[in-house]
Amino acid sequence: MIDYPVFEMPVLGHRLIFAIDAILHVLISHGAAVGGSVVLVLSQWWAIKNNDQKMYDLTYKILFVLFIAATAIGALTGIGIWIHANIIDPPAIGSLLRVFFWKWFVEWIVFNVELIFLLLWFLTWKQLGWEGRHKNIKFGIVYAIASWLTMVIITAILGFMLTPGNWLTSIFPTQPDYVASLFNPSWIPSLMFRTFFAIGFAAAVSMYWTWWFTKDDIQLRERAEKFFSKITLLSIPPTVLFGLWYYSQIPQEAKALMFVAGLTTKYVGHKEMLIFALLGAFALIMLAVFLFYVKPRGVPFVLASLMMVSYVFLVAEFERIREFVRKPYIVYGYMYAHGIRELDVAHLNNVGVLKYAQFVPVQYRTVTEENKVKVGEYLFKLECRVCHSVNGINAITKKVKGLDETAIYYRIGTLNSPATPFMPPFVGTDEERKALAAYLASLVQDKNTQVAKDNKGGQ
Amino acid sequence: MASNFNNPVFPSLPNDIPLPLPTGGMDVLLVPVFHILLVVSFLVHIVFINVLLGSSVLSVINNWIGHLRGDKNYDRVAYLLTTPVTISENMGALWGVAPLLIVSVMYTAFFYSASVMNSPQWLHIIWGNVVAFLTSYLYKFSWHKLENSKALHITIGAIAAILFLSLPPVFMSTVQLYITPSSWAPNTHFWDVVTRPDVIFRLAHFYLGAFAVNGMFMLLYGVYKRDKGQDLEAAKILIRQGKAWFVVPTVLNLFVGTLAFFQFPNYGIEAFYSNGFVIFIIISVFSVLVALGMLIKEFLNDSIPTKVVYISALFLLVTLGSMGITRHGMRISLLEPAIAQMQKQTQEYITAVQKDYEEAKSKPSVVDVAEASHLSEGEKLIAKNGCTACHSKEQKLVGPSFKEISIRGYTAEKIVSLIYNPEPSNWPEYSPMPPMANVPKEEAMKIAQWISNLK
Repeated sequence: MIDYPVFEMPVLGHRLIFAIDAILHVLISHGAAVGGSVVLVLSQWWAIKNNDQKMYDLTYKILFVLFIAATAIGALTGIGIWIHANIIDPPAIGSLLRVFFWKWFVEWIVFNVELIFLLLWFLTWKQLGWEGRHKNIKFGIVYAIASWLTMVIITAILGFMLTPGNWLTSIFPTQPDYVASLFNPSWIPSLMFRTFFAIGFAAAVSMYWTWWFTKDDIQLRERAEKFFSKITLLSIPPTVLFGLWYYSQIPQEAKALMFVAGLTTKYVGHKEMLIFALLGAFALIMLAVFLFYVKPRGVPFVLASLMMVSYVFLVAEFERIREFVRKPYIVYGYMYAHGIRELDVAHLNNVGVLKYAQFVPVQYRTVTEENKVKVGEYLFKLECRVCHSVNGINAITKKVKGLDETAIYYRIGTLNSPATPFMPPFVGTDEERKALAAYLASLVQDKNTQVAKDNKGGQ
Repeated sequence: MASNFNNPVFPSLPNDIPLPLPTGGMDVLLVPVFHILLVVSFLVHIVFINVLLGSSVLSVINNWIGHLRGDKNYDRVAYLLTTPVTISENMGALWGVAPLLIVSVMYTAFFYSASVMNSPQWLHIIWGNVVAFLTSYLYKFSWHKLENSKALHITIGAIAAILFLSLPPVFMSTVQLYITPSSWAPNTHFWDVVTRPDVIFRLAHFYLGAFAVNGMFMLLYGVYKRDKGQDLEAAKILIRQGKAWFVVPTVLNLFVGTLAFFQFPNYGIEAFYSNGFVIFIIISVFSVLVALGMLIKEFLNDSIPTKVVYISALFLLVTLGSMGITRHGMRISLLEPAIAQMQKQTQEYITAVQKDYEEAKSKPSVVDVAEASHLSEGEKLIAKNGCTACHSKEQKLVGPSFKEISIRGYTAEKIVSLIYNPEPSNWPEYSPMPPMANVPKEEAMKIAQWISNLK
């Protein structure tokens, strides 16, 4: 994104604001929309079949919560993923749009059906009442199908970013193969994995809210909890199976990053931590769901809440790992995380990135001895800021602490090396690399380190 | 400025995305489809947004009037208006997606650059919206619970309405900024944009238009209720208020709209005229004058004929349609020369990229060079496995030199284990080394032996 403007997001950094929006969206789209629609239609159907009006009313109460979440937060954070991508990595989202425009357009049409039928289902529930139950559930069924179809399309795009497959028919001019992009290797397994996960998760969400809404009716609680926990239990085997298939489709280089993705570079030495955390969360969920199944009235609220927390943790950790293992790319093998294409690297290393930096003031587009720290700051904004903040989350000051300018200069030259294979290479001329080193060194200059002193002594 | 009349300058333009437009080569056929979809979907979006803004505000006002006068009919009107709010907030957001999609693909670099310049404030359209949605739901669904705490309830509604009203300035800043790339500078930022006269006039025009459209909606809603024989008193209030809210803002907008038009850059206005888009302004004004005339004539008549309302609504629809085309015409007129410049510079860039790419491809890579050279096996392996990112044979870089390591006298086995599981405490003066899990076992052993032999 060397030719785009850059915005400042102090402390949080670009990555975190994106993650907050995206994870919120995944939790709600999976838990309330895709999974929630299926689970609540099943629950409504079950209530109708058993002539169980109390279960019918309970279903509405849960739907009320999911409706608010899906429309006020889920839909908007979904649009938010776009808006965040627009400002954080414009060349990446711009490229995805060129390849996936019509699929996105179809998704928008499906999204219309989804929202209209959700509004119909929810807003006519009370009006139609128990008498109109057979009519009302039809709205729910259409909503459930449409929700799932939106996921079908979006997982194709997510799958494409990680496993684009053979999607270019020519590189100069760049010509995508639209069909191959859609049928990328991880599309179907990831779609099925997410579908079953979402159903299990939504049933767990329903268990949680059932507990909340049935304080005065323990018999209803027993019936409902048993019903929802059965759904979660049934959803787990297919989730695991499709998860394994999904995993098998991921590139080898990406698999190698799994642990550093889950643990961050700081804790990657303690692989057992990730395994314990993931298995622990899974075990907690299994325990809660199983208890809800065999002894619904004996489940304490604390356990139901812990089950929810574990689910949130698993979702966040999964999405973090999925996003991280794609590095150093944003579109695998085509575009790096900093928005520069592999194809561009040779040229930009020859002539420099500043030549094209349209939003860097002209006086800072050539490196001089006087302005090199300031130029380095602009280079940091162009190439590093997408993941690193200066002092906040994933702070660059922590990465260069203890290094002097020369050491930083060397380190910049070998970012995309086996030591840090998830880092995109620095792109630019040697002069630009020196300017970036000068800026980064100036950030930690005051903390005169042993290395700096030693190196000065050695010169 | 006069010299720039027909020669606009665009000092900062990013390159276009180097992928073809998604037309499958059928630009002639599909580009017009993009234009039509953009205009139509945006119009639907904006009508929903107009009703959302107007009805949010009027629900609160009527709630308040009802409370002050102790009149249940106003309270009823206020409650009735929460349903169009729920529907239009959802449908408005949804129909905003289609224009966003099309603008992002047709005017990618323009729209994204403006979004970035207006950030992080641009994110208010997401997070401010989420809070506004939740507050408006709270207002709607607490209606009966808070019947006896009206002050609190009206406050909640007012917060929701104010939050919704706070979104258009952010939208308008980005929209106006992306269609005026001649105004971009390296330090352009949201607060400069939102206070620009062009943005302020367009915003005023938009807000007035929103209340006018919502006035027409209330009138239609009132007539519909009246004809069905439901809520007759509330219907009367809706009809009266609807007429007033349509007539007053529309009259004001005849002036504000004219002023807003002349805030655009001169070259855009020139091109707008020479492209012939001015006919759509004439249609808009003429059509809205007819609608105004019809409703002013029946202004004091509570039993205004249904037919008159429908016909005036039809005329308003014609106005909205041609305003939509006017708006798009101005966008085309402003962006045409900028797109030409962008395509030219993008083509030059791609030609240069291709040349250097092919040249670099014919040269051997660093690893190949190491392979082919007369280096020892250990030196080849440290290059291949990326050790040289941080260590050199003699010199301190990010980590200690290999010589320095060899002086410590570790066994080869110990070095192998340190490659996989570094112990930063051994070298407190350096930044910690990450575990190098990717190095194959036998290569790690060879590297370790090579290091041991350096001393």
